[in-house]
Amino acid sequence: MTSDGLYYLDHAAATPVDERVLAEMQPYFGERFFNPSSPYAPAVAVRRDYFDAKARLAHTFGAKADEIIITAGATESINLAFSAVTGHVVISAIEHDAVVAAAKRHSHTLVAPTEKGIITPEAVGAAITPDTELVSVQLANNEIGTIQPVRQIAEKIRTIQAARLKENNKRPLALHCDASQGFGQIDIHTARLGIDLLTLNAGKMYGPKQVGLLWVRPGVHVEPLIVGGGQERGLRSGTENVAGTIGFAKAAELADRHRKSEAERLSKLRDTMEQTLANAFKQAVVSGHPKKRLPGSLHISMPGLDAERLVFALEQRGVMLATGSACAANKNTRSHVLTALGMSDELADGSLRLTFGRLSNEENCRQAAAIIVEEVKKEYERVGRA
Amino acid sequence: MEAKQKVFVGMSGGVDSSLTAALLVEQGYEVTGVYMKNWTKDLPGMRCPWADDLADAKRVAVHLGIDFKVFDFENEYKHKVVDYMIDEYKLGRTPNPDIMCNQEVKFKLFLDMALEQGADLVATGHYARTKDGQLLMATDANKDQTYFLYRIDGAALKKTLFPLGEYTKPEVRKMAEERGLATAKKKDSQGICFVGQIGIREFLSQYVDTSPGEVIDKASGKVLGTHDGAIFYTLGQRHGLELGGGLPYYVVGKDMGKNQVFVTTNLNDDELWRDTITLENIHWINQPAVNGTYQVRMRHRTQLIECQLEGSTLKLKEPQRAVAAGQSAVLYDGDLCVGGGIIV
Repeated sequence: MTSDGLYYLDHAAATPVDERVLAEMQPYFGERFFNPSSPYAPAVAVRRDYFDAKARLAHTFGAKADEIIITAGATESINLAFSAVTGHVVISAIEHDAVVAAAKRHSHTLVAPTEKGIITPEAVGAAITPDTELVSVQLANNEIGTIQPVRQIAEKIRTIQAARLKENNKRPLALHCDASQGFGQIDIHTARLGIDLLTLNAGKMYGPKQVGLLWVRPGVHVEPLIVGGGQERGLRSGTENVAGTIGFAKAAELADRHRKSEAERLSKLRDTMEQTLANAFKQAVVSGHPKKRLPGSLHISMPGLDAERLVFALEQRGVMLATGSACAANKNTRSHVLTALGMSDELADGSLRLTFGRLSNEENCRQAAAIIVEEVKKEYERVGRA
Repeated sequence: MEAKQKVFVGMSGGVDSSLTAALLVEQGYEVTGVYMKNWTKDLPGMRCPWADDLADAKRVAVHLGIDFKVFDFENEYKHKVVDYMIDEYKLGRTPNPDIMCNQEVKFKLFLDMALEQGADLVATGHYARTKDGQLLMATDANKDQTYFLYRIDGAALKKTLFPLGEYTKPEVRKMAEERGLATAKKKDSQGICFVGQIGIREFLSQYVDTSPGEVIDKASGKVLGTHDGAIFYTLGQRHGLELGGGLPYYVVGKDMGKNQVFVTTNLNDDELWRDTITLENIHWINQPAVNGTYQVRMRHRTQLIECQLEGSTLKLKEPQRAVAAGQSAVLYDGDLCVGGGIIV
């Protein structure tokens, strides 16, 4: 339960800023307000703090301070990753709207997932043409939680790069990974993933919203979207978001430090919830890959029900969760992710997304599960009656 | 046991229609909530709140445990209401799109589709009353909305419930709050629903090409200045002429063909005051046309004026200011709204 007596099961949408994160940010709104570009000593100290925070932040995923560009969130990072593309791009069909929209500005190919939501390296390889410059595959899906074989996709791309060199095709080919979801739950490390560009989002890891980063492997080219004073090595102008970056670094360190135990804890909570709902409703369908899935993620469909009704009914009982896709629900359209999975309309319309996190514990999850079972039963009764 | 009567309630996501649905549930009807998706377009400076309104309507329906549907009338609404409004403005008239919406959408399309899907009756959150296919003013005279409903036909009224007709707005808010309805404190929408608060001027400029034209003094024929487009001006209007200091000027006429606006400083100009009005498209509710004495209202919530109807001519007891063509004159016989027509 959250502090105001509510059951929050939507950590994929937003996470509360950790108190320790907030405490570290606080001074930079007050006594350490200086512009990091100013010449006097207190400002220079702030500049040092800023670069130190960037270094600590980068270190959590195996990168260096100079390789990351701090942005105003994952959407900007994704746009920046696509900024230098002149040729063809390949993305998975289940990317976040930000990646889909960025790809639509170019000649692009969508890679369909398997039924379980996995993007296979073979499917990515088949979509790459001699003109492809960028491949973008998310680390974990925001709706169904499926974790992609990014490392294997990267290897596939290296093979294609080698073949291109032999054919004297000099076009760059980079792999961007949107890892907005999953930090603090699964391993995220640039070298182990074998990627060229990485997007991270502070707002999904108990850090401040509107703070994100793009990691760019040295030698990979991006074009600034925002020009001006030349901050972030000219790739993102504007006075540095010192407080946000300090908070981002702290949030990333905390999430990284407790990753293994948190992942274990969340998967237990998730599995218990899944079993409770599956036992109560034999017709319920869990989507995504049963194993290759974020520990804190559960996507479950109640066939024949309208998930939005369930969200409103549960909201009145203090349970906050999302329909199959938070973004899609706002627009009253079906989620492109569920469509790509080939899910029937009936299952898609009845799908709920439960994402567990630091506000979840055994006690409140047990209570939330009981409430969900009650409300789902009520809706099944209502539909049966109609 | 007699089967429950089925009522489809038009739920807009506002407090009035939310309480309407709640009251009908309490009265023992089998209620289905329906959101009419009529307009979804954003305008510069105004985000169309339809998705939030739909969610609120649905939220209340879930709270009441009733079925909920969305009827999509977007195409029909554009043709029958929005295009009508734009065309009327192009002709230099001042239309009332809400009246058209009730006539064409709520009490035609919605009613027909509801009946088709098994409803016995429909209901809305309008402040009005019905009796045997007649339309009666709401008990709360200050909130009465029969002005917007006078073009509904008697057959539709026989199938319609207005459960709020007996209540005042503060009572409605209080009852909504007592029932824990999520919309109890939601602000009332203002102005024409799809135009919202940005104003008709901004709306029209999105749909009609306008160009500056002359502002002409009616008395001298002299050009006093320029305006942004004659379409934007209505009879009797004072503001927005930007003619500088001196006595205030009022719009007394327009030449849409020449894109000219005529103004005067004479508060008693003939064009500004009318005591005889010609009506067209007269609509009678559930009764044949009857000449005689009525009370008329030419704008929502304005005072009723004694009048004499003869055919399509309405003689007012006292002259009225700024009676604009395209608006509706709605006729009453006491509490009873007998019908009305469009002012020529």
